[in-house]
Amino acid sequence: MKQYFRIIILILTTIALSHQSLSASEEQQGVESNSSPVDLLSKVVDSNYLDFQPLGYIELPRFFYAEDGFHFFRSTTSALNSDRGFIDVAYLENEPETEGGVVVPATYELTRAEGEPQILFDFSITKHLVWFWFGVFIVFIIFIPLARKYQRGVGRTTEPNGVFQNIFETLVLFIRDNVARPNIPEDKYEKFMPYLLTAFFSILFMNLFGLLPWGVSSTADVTVTAALAVLTFFATQIFASKDHWKHIFWFPDVPVFIKIMMIPVEIVGQFTKPFALCIRLFANMTSGKILIFSLISAIFIIDIHFGAIAAYGSSIFWIGLTLFVYILKAFIAFIQAYVFVILSALFIGLATEEHDHHHGDEHAVEHAHS
Amino acid sequence: MTTVIAQSLLDVDFGLFAWILITFLLFMFILAKFAWKPILNALKERESSIKDSLESAEIAMEQAKKISADNEKAMKEAEQKAQEIRKQAVEEAEAIRQERIEKSRKEAEAMLEQARETIEQEKQKALVELRKEVADLAVQAASKIIESELDDKKNKKLVDEYIQDISKN
Repeated sequence: MKQYFRIIILILTTIALSHQSLSASEEQQGVESNSSPVDLLSKVVDSNYLDFQPLGYIELPRFFYAEDGFHFFRSTTSALNSDRGFIDVAYLENEPETEGGVVVPATYELTRAEGEPQILFDFSITKHLVWFWFGVFIVFIIFIPLARKYQRGVGRTTEPNGVFQNIFETLVLFIRDNVARPNIPEDKYEKFMPYLLTAFFSILFMNLFGLLPWGVSSTADVTVTAALAVLTFFATQIFASKDHWKHIFWFPDVPVFIKIMMIPVEIVGQFTKPFALCIRLFANMTSGKILIFSLISAIFIIDIHFGAIAAYGSSIFWIGLTLFVYILKAFIAFIQAYVFVILSALFIGLATEEHDHHHGDEHAVEHAHS
Repeated sequence: MTTVIAQSLLDVDFGLFAWILITFLLFMFILAKFAWKPILNALKERESSIKDSLESAEIAMEQAKKISADNEKAMKEAEQKAQEIRKQAVEEAEAIRQERIEKSRKEAEAMLEQARETIEQEKQKALVELRKEVADLAVQAASKIIESELDDKKNKKLVDEYIQDISKN
């Protein structure tokens, strides 16, 4: 991968040098504007609208708690044009932009014109939430009819019928037999199946949405992955066995002073596990997203800095690389969904298993000897 | 600029967090009730029914094997019995034949013996009679011859001696 990049950069430098005189004027323009030609950040972070450019934006409802109570607006525009004193933060200093007499949002960040009373909690429905719902909606429309099919008897008493049923049955069985069963004790795994299945399929569809035109993968938002990781954390802590707590607070088979040392280590470990879960999924999805945007944007950046010919010339490389990353992302969508659930299952399994070890006895013997 | 990107990327939005948490749990319970449970139960049921039918097929095969083995054994036994019976019959027949032969031989022998005895008896009888007849004849003849010279007593004595001599011979 690194070598690939080096070669491309080398080629680009040659092209750039050969066209330096030609691109001089454009370069000046680029320097003049002095801002990023591609707004990468707005594509990656959450927002209060659905982006269907060039078709347009769909503003999402605003719902938040301010010091004077709950406020609900159909859209950010309606919030800005209401008589409750909400204003876009950009308009605190600048003159509000209007379109046909209606104030339009600039940053979508609301505040009070007077600064008081403040907005405390923003429960607005955001882009990532909507795409999360889409993901779960897909799970609904796939699995509820499938469940009906099973209830009718297809796949229950007879063999499964059709591609659709076979594909998703394979995935469900995969989660049950390769994720839940090997990690979670046999008598407990059934309890966690709904969580693992829902997490797997919703993460999978959220990941795959990132590959669609206009699609957004909600898993590229640390808040979403944090919420999922928190669920795994609760699952491990709520259903933890006695042995789990014993391991945390009185680590077996080690001398007493190490036992005491192990307490903070184990407690921190309880939090790092879901934290890693959260960061892994988020970083994988976000990096893929940023990489694709960056590779596409490279064409425009080259256009500004080195000229149109360099941009055209190099675009084939960028597009080739983008396709490569895109295919990689399709794999990663599956792999990360799998990794999330298998690690969740592993953590749940570790917390819930009851090992009938003879730590106590062995320990007593050891002590007697020493 | 870079710090701004990093910040907004890693910001945890409390509102979104709450929404995701609540809606995920809600969806999970709905899916658990209407999708996962029916599917998993159906799969489990199917698996157990397949397992049961495999097991029962195995049992049935085992039984069939046993039955066929039993049949073979019974057939063998029957054949053996039949052979025994045949052998016995042949032996019996032979015994009967032997017995009959023996019996007829004995009968014949007995008849022969009887005949011999009868002959012997007849012979003795005849001898006695002959002796008596001869004696009488001799007496008559002698009396006729020696009627004049000898008395009866002397004659008889003479004849007896003579007959004694004859029987000794």
